Amino acid sequence: MTIVDSRSLITGPPPDVPRTHHTTTTSTPLPNPTPLPTFTTPTSGTDDRERPLYVSGSQAERQARAGRMSSPLRRGTHESWWSSEMGWFNAVAKTIPTYRVLDEEGHLVKGTRVPEITQEEAIAMYRTMTLIPIVDNVLYQSQRQGRISFYMQCAGEEAAIVGSSAAMSEGDEMFGQYRESAALIHRGFTLDSLMAQCFGNVEDKGTKGRMMPVHYSAPELGFHTITSPLATQMPQAAGAAYALKLDEDRQGDCVICYFGDGAASEGDFHAALGMNSVLGGPCIWFCRNNGFAISTPIIDQYAGDGIASRGPAYGLDTIRVDGNDALAVLSAVREARRRAVEGKKGVLVEAMTYRVGHHSTSDDSSMYRPIEEVKEWNVVDNPIHRFRAFLVTKKWWSEEEEKKLLSKNKNDVMRAFGRAERLPKPKLGEMFNDVWGVGNGEEVPAVIMEQRAELGRLLKKYGDVWEPWRRERKRFVEEGEDVMDCDGRGS
Amino acid sequence: MTRSLRITTISRRCSSSVATTGNNNNGVKQPRPSRSAPTILESKQPEEPSLGESASFRHTAEEALATPGLKFADGHGLKGPTGRGRQTRRMNLYQAIRDALGTALATNPKAFVFGEDVQTGVFRCTTGLVDEFGKKRVFNTPLTEQGIAGFGIGLASVGACAIAEIQFGDYIFPAFDQLVNEAAKQRYASGGAYPLAGGSLTIRAPIGSVGHGGLYHSQSPEGFFLGAAGLKVVIPRSPIQAKGLLLAAIRDPNPVLVFEPKILAAEGKDLTVVSYGTPLHTSLRAIDLICHPPPNLVPFLPKALRPPNPAPSIQLIDLRTVSPMPTSQLIDAVKKTGRMVIVHEAGKSGSVGNDITGEVGRRAFEYLEAPIGLVSGWDTPVPLTFEKFYQPDVIRVFDKIVETLSY
Repeated sequence: MTIVDSRSLITGPPPDVPRTHHTTTTSTPLPNPTPLPTFTTPTSGTDDRERPLYVSGSQAERQARAGRMSSPLRRGTHESWWSSEMGWFNAVAKTIPTYRVLDEEGHLVKGTRVPEITQEEAIAMYRTMTLIPIVDNVLYQSQRQGRISFYMQCAGEEAAIVGSSAAMSEGDEMFGQYRESAALIHRGFTLDSLMAQCFGNVEDKGTKGRMMPVHYSAPELGFHTITSPLATQMPQAAGAAYALKLDEDRQGDCVICYFGDGAASEGDFHAALGMNSVLGGPCIWFCRNNGFAISTPIIDQYAGDGIASRGPAYGLDTIRVDGNDALAVLSAVREARRRAVEGKKGVLVEAMTYRVGHHSTSDDSSMYRPIEEVKEWNVVDNPIHRFRAFLVTKKWWSEEEEKKLLSKNKNDVMRAFGRAERLPKPKLGEMFNDVWGVGNGEEVPAVIMEQRAELGRLLKKYGDVWEPWRRERKRFVEEGEDVMDCDGRGS
Repeated sequence: MTRSLRITTISRRCSSSVATTGNNNNGVKQPRPSRSAPTILESKQPEEPSLGESASFRHTAEEALATPGLKFADGHGLKGPTGRGRQTRRMNLYQAIRDALGTALATNPKAFVFGEDVQTGVFRCTTGLVDEFGKKRVFNTPLTEQGIAGFGIGLASVGACAIAEIQFGDYIFPAFDQLVNEAAKQRYASGGAYPLAGGSLTIRAPIGSVGHGGLYHSQSPEGFFLGAAGLKVVIPRSPIQAKGLLLAAIRDPNPVLVFEPKILAAEGKDLTVVSYGTPLHTSLRAIDLICHPPPNLVPFLPKALRPPNPAPSIQLIDLRTVSPMPTSQLIDAVKKTGRMVIVHEAGKSGSVGNDITGEVGRRAFEYLEAPIGLVSGWDTPVPLTFEKFYQPDVIRVFDKIVETLSY
């Protein structure tokens, strides 16, 4: 047997070379240079006979049979086993099925289980589902008339949004993307609050007139502020879920985070699911897959099997559900919530739906999709009709009640709309508040106070003379007098 | 790439096409300036002219062809190849950008235009390009700004001409790492090897406020990129400029951020106003109000600035390139006038204005006769309902110019 000591073959800097860089010595140094292993001739035969992957009867074989590698974590995976086949794959399941309870006409599908739902709950859901189209219509039209600056409808997605909201409990945290006003209404947000935000009037407690319409904020309902950037809410939801997991007073509470098929392409989507899967925390990742990111169809968005296929990649329990079936969404999200809370972990729900409305008032969807397609969805697969058919089958709903509800909805919306429009804007000084948090005994940073004073000085000087300002300040409570009270020449 | 400053003198002597308020006592009834949006007619005073009526826009072929810095690469000069003059087309900013993109795609087979919703062109800058040049070169990307920027860097690395769109400047921040750490430093880090010859990266993004954008559709993020040496930042203010700057950016070997807002040098001697993008028009209007003050603003002018005294001679500098800063031209200007007012929409802290102020203060201290004025957005997020009082309004520029002139 020949033994070659390879250590002498390793070349490296001689040990007496003076240092040119300062190096830290905080970690245990590895042998330098790392010696190659001493070469020895294998003792157990040198023939080219094939050996079995596992020695029969060994512990490794038993583990492999159970679906575990002998020392899995050292190979970067939790579950795997050796294979002599080069086994390429492109999907965990061939196609991911879509779960539904009701068919397009609202009949129960064979073999399905109706979720437990009381008449009261069902009608509450139906009320929100029929209220939001009226809200949307009125505000959409009012944007067209220049009475508010912007709006986004949720037409076509009523079942996905209301069904998921109905499955959540009081005390849960909700992170929306921007098309979830129906979820917020279903949680108890009043029409007055909603209209106040869209008009940015003096009653807009959530965003004080600073944010665009539909950027609601309702901490009292656990509804986190909507911001325009996409998917930024997702890592935040992972953080909130982790906090719930660790907070003894909040055991049993859950986070739901809404996002779209487009947002799932952002880096934040992957960051969020990755962190949530490793750190844990009860969180429902609710994807409204409505087919479009503004004008970009899903075919330009992803080549894989939707968003649901990404769940297993992050080790999340995942389901794909018919997003136009309110009952299926309700029952899937209820189960998702149970799994999330019991396992203190993330669960992914992909709701397949269709955006019937334009992306927003800044968009004209006829530029990129045929109007017939939209009409067809509205007729053939209408989430409101499907759910109403279920109510009628259950004998919970009649034509008379429908008429009464629709007319009440309309009156409520018009009354709230008229009221909100008449209210003035907040105090002009609200522009400068809340930029910085101010601790006890501290003062608002000088930069803000100086700039506020500067505007005050200019308003005093030109507020009645300069026409654009004279007209504009009338819209505000106190007409800007509140910033004029500050003294000094400003910055 | 020629992106030198353009400066114009505006004084009482020069005629201005902006309708001035309050002095139509010659018996001829002047038509009210046209407005595209309906307005509340509760005031008896004439409307402030809208941005579209800014004096700095060029409305005739002659004016457009006389744009300083315009060169005709075919060597035929103003008469054009036919000898019968050159044709011009009336365009708004978006059409000019669409036109420049078409030119870039037509002249460079390795040029690509991509971004969110680019193929369908819902924001009009890219409408129809896909029909002309095909989906391989004009395409929608998945919704990921960091992906778009990184993808563009990769394209440029191997010699392609990448023209990427970020739908709003407000959404450029996921791409910040790719732009600041990769695009800006790529040439330096690779010893000049990357991007390979012919490779160029241009990122377009609309910025600034439109009056109803609020926190996430009105930001002016240019200040964040000032520290990224190697990354040019340009901001056009008119259709002609947008087309020229964009094409120059596309042909520039450096990565260029073209921020599109949703103006002008002979020699002024009393004051230098520096601005870029939309507020340039605001500044122009404010200067006009000082040179031709309407009766209601006359009391706010000190005697020396009121008619019949001659109007102050004010120089307006259109910065266009905010990084790298064209410092020496600014110093030269302020050495002549001794006074400077800077106007931009971004907040003060960490802004282009503060950068200029520092540089001018250091290098031209002994020439300054007044503190450098800075009219900017406030250091708050852009608040929706309050936007009219957030923006550097005409009257705020007016006040600052008067203050600086009478210091």
